[in-house]
Amino acid sequence: MLAKRAMAISGLSPIAERRSPWQDQCITETSNPSLADSAAPQSTPPSASRRRIERPLLRSDDGCALGGVCDGVARRLGLPTKSVRAIWTLTAFIFGVGAIAYVTLWITVTRRGETSSIGSRTVRDRRELQIILAISTLVLAILIALQAIGLPDIDGVGWPVAVTGLGGLVVWRKCSSDERLRLQELLNAAPVSGITSSKSWKVVALRATVGITLAAIGIGLLSKNGSRSGAAAGALVGAMVLGAGFFTLFAPWWLRTLRELTSERRERVRAQERADMAAHLHDSVLQTLSLIQRSAHDPVEVARLARIQERDLRSWLFRPAAFWTRAESPSTLVQAAADIERDVEDNYGAAVELVVVGDCPLDVAVSALLAAGREATINAAKWSRAASISVFIEVEADLVSMFVRDLGTGFELQTVPPDRHGISRSIIERMQRAGGHAVVRSALGEGTEVALTLPRSHAQL
Amino acid sequence: MSDQSVPRVFLVDDHALLRSGIRAELGDNVEVVGEADEVEAAIEMIIERAPDVVLLDVHMPGGGGKAVLEGVVKHSPSIRFLALSVSDAAEDVIAVIRAGACGYVTKNISGTELIEAVRRVASGDAVFSRHLAGFVLDAFRQESTETTRMTSFDPELDQLTPREREVLRLIARGYAYKEIAVELKISVKTVESHVSAVLRKLQLSNRYQLTNWASERRLL
Repeated sequence: MLAKRAMAISGLSPIAERRSPWQDQCITETSNPSLADSAAPQSTPPSASRRRIERPLLRSDDGCALGGVCDGVARRLGLPTKSVRAIWTLTAFIFGVGAIAYVTLWITVTRRGETSSIGSRTVRDRRELQIILAISTLVLAILIALQAIGLPDIDGVGWPVAVTGLGGLVVWRKCSSDERLRLQELLNAAPVSGITSSKSWKVVALRATVGITLAAIGIGLLSKNGSRSGAAAGALVGAMVLGAGFFTLFAPWWLRTLRELTSERRERVRAQERADMAAHLHDSVLQTLSLIQRSAHDPVEVARLARIQERDLRSWLFRPAAFWTRAESPSTLVQAAADIERDVEDNYGAAVELVVVGDCPLDVAVSALLAAGREATINAAKWSRAASISVFIEVEADLVSMFVRDLGTGFELQTVPPDRHGISRSIIERMQRAGGHAVVRSALGEGTEVALTLPRSHAQL
Repeated sequence: MSDQSVPRVFLVDDHALLRSGIRAELGDNVEVVGEADEVEAAIEMIIERAPDVVLLDVHMPGGGGKAVLEGVVKHSPSIRFLALSVSDAAEDVIAVIRAGACGYVTKNISGTELIEAVRRVASGDAVFSRHLAGFVLDAFRQESTETTRMTSFDPELDQLTPREREVLRLIARGYAYKEIAVELKISVKTVESHVSAVLRKLQLSNRYQLTNWASERRLL
C-alpha cells in the first residue's frame, strides 16, 4: 500500500521529479537488493522500501488523520508516516509541545494542491485578522486572570490548550472549502454507532483519543484541586476541561439528534400547512363547485357563484393579510372599496371591476363619498343590465375622486320619476353635504357614468 | 383577407383549456400560427415562426412569461408580446412589461376586446388594461415636486405629462381609446401615441418608486 502511494506521488507530482544529489543517493541506497528484500516483497519496486524524500514540505491532502502535517513531514524526511505520528503524539504530552508545533505547521505549511498557506491567507484578510486578534486577547486575559488567582497547575496545561485552540480556530476559519469538507466529515463522524468504513474508524479513534485525553486532564485537575481549600477556580477549570472532553466524545451523536428533531419539526409544519390548504380548498372551492353543479340550469347564479369564489380565492392567494382581516370593519379607503365590490357582486349579480390608486384613512367625508359611490354601483348593477361595472377611485394630495361606469342601457336624467330618490338624494345631495360634487352622465344605449369628487384639504384638516 | 388585417398570433399558456378558449374567441380574426405550453419550446417555436404577436401567459412553470420574453427578445426583437394574466397582481404585470411586453390584459377580457388589443399590439401600439393604468398612475404619483426633483435622474422619463395622466385616468375609468379621443377632443392616433409614451417610460424609467418597488421583489 505504501509502495502504491509512493509511486502515485512520484508519477504525479512534478516536485518529486526534481532530484537533489542527496535524494539520488537515497534512492541508490534503497535500491540495495538485500535491504529491499527485508522490507518488502520481491515484486514491488525497490524504491518503495523506504520513502523517497519530497520537497518542499507540503501538508498532504489524502490519507491524513487531521491536517496532513505528520504525513507531510514524513514525506519530507523520508520516514514512514506511522513513526512520525507516534513520535509526534508522544511529544504532545511534553507540555503540549507536539500539539503547538502541529498547529503551527498546519497554519504555516501550504496544503498539497493549494497555492497559499492558511497563515498567509489569514494575514491578507484584515477583517479575519482582527477577529482572531480579538479572540486571542480575550483568551490571554482569561489565562492571566487564572494565574493571578493562583493556579500553579494551569501553566502546564492551560497555555498549550489555549494556543492549540486558537490555532484550530484559525485553521477552521481560513482553510479551503475542500479541507473544510474533510474537517466537517471528521466532526460529524459518530463516536459510537454508525461506523461503516475503515476511514470513519480512524476518525472515531482520533476523536476518542482527544476526548479521553481531555477528560483525563480534567479529572486530574479536579482531584488535585478538590482536596485543597480555596481552589474553586482550579476545580472549575478542571470541570471545564472534562466537559470539553465529553463534548468531543458525544457531540456528533448529540448534533445528529438535534438535526433529526429540527427536520421532524419542519416536516410537521409542512404537513400542517398542507392540511390547512386542503381544508381551505374544501371549504371554498369544492363547496362552490358543488353549488355550481346544482344550479347548472341558472346561468346568472352560476356566474355569481364563480365570481364570488374567484374573488375569494384571489384574495386568499395574493392578499393573504387582507383575507384574514376582512371580517373587521374597514379603516381605510381601499378596504371599504373592496367591501363595496364584494357586497354588490354578491347581492346584485353584476361583476364589479375595481381599480384603486392610492389610499387614505376613512373619515366622515370620505365615507360619504364611498356611500354615494356604493349607491351608484348598486344602481348600475340593478338597472343597467351591463355585465360588468368599472369602478375607479383615485386618491390625490388634494382630491379624492370616484368614477362608476357601466356600458349598459343608460337612461335620460329627465325621465327619472321624481319619486325615485336614489340619484338625487343618495348621490348628489350626499356629496354636496360632504363638501364634494357629483356628476351623472348617461345616454340611452351608451351607458352611465357617475363621477364623484371630494376636495381633500378640508376633509383632512 | 390581406396579411395586414390578419395578424399572425402565437399562444403561450400552460393550460390547454385556456389556449383553446382563446383560440375560439379569436376565431378568424387572427391567424394562430402555433401554441406552446412551456418556456423552452415556446422560445424555440416563436423564433422559428416569427409571429406578429405572442399572447403570453404571465404565470408559467420554469420562469414564467418573463423567461419567454427574455429568450425571444435577445434573438428577434421585432416580435411583440401581449401579456395575459388571471391575476392583477402588480408585481406580475410590471415584470413582463419591463421585460419588454407591449401590453397587458386580464384573461376575463371579452373576445372583441382581445382582438382589438391584438391588432393594436400588432400595429406597434401599447395596450393597457384598467388595472395597468391604475398601477402606472400609482407608481408615477405626483408627490411634492421637491422630492421628485431630488430623486429623479431623468425627469423626461420619470414623470408623466398632464395629458398622459388624463389618458391613463380615462383608461382606468373604463374608456376605450375611441371614447378617450372623443372625451379629450383628440385623434385616436394621438391617444395611442400617449399610451406608447407611457409604456416606454414604464420600461425605461429608473424612477425611485418603480425601481425600489421592483427590486424589493427581486424583479430587476
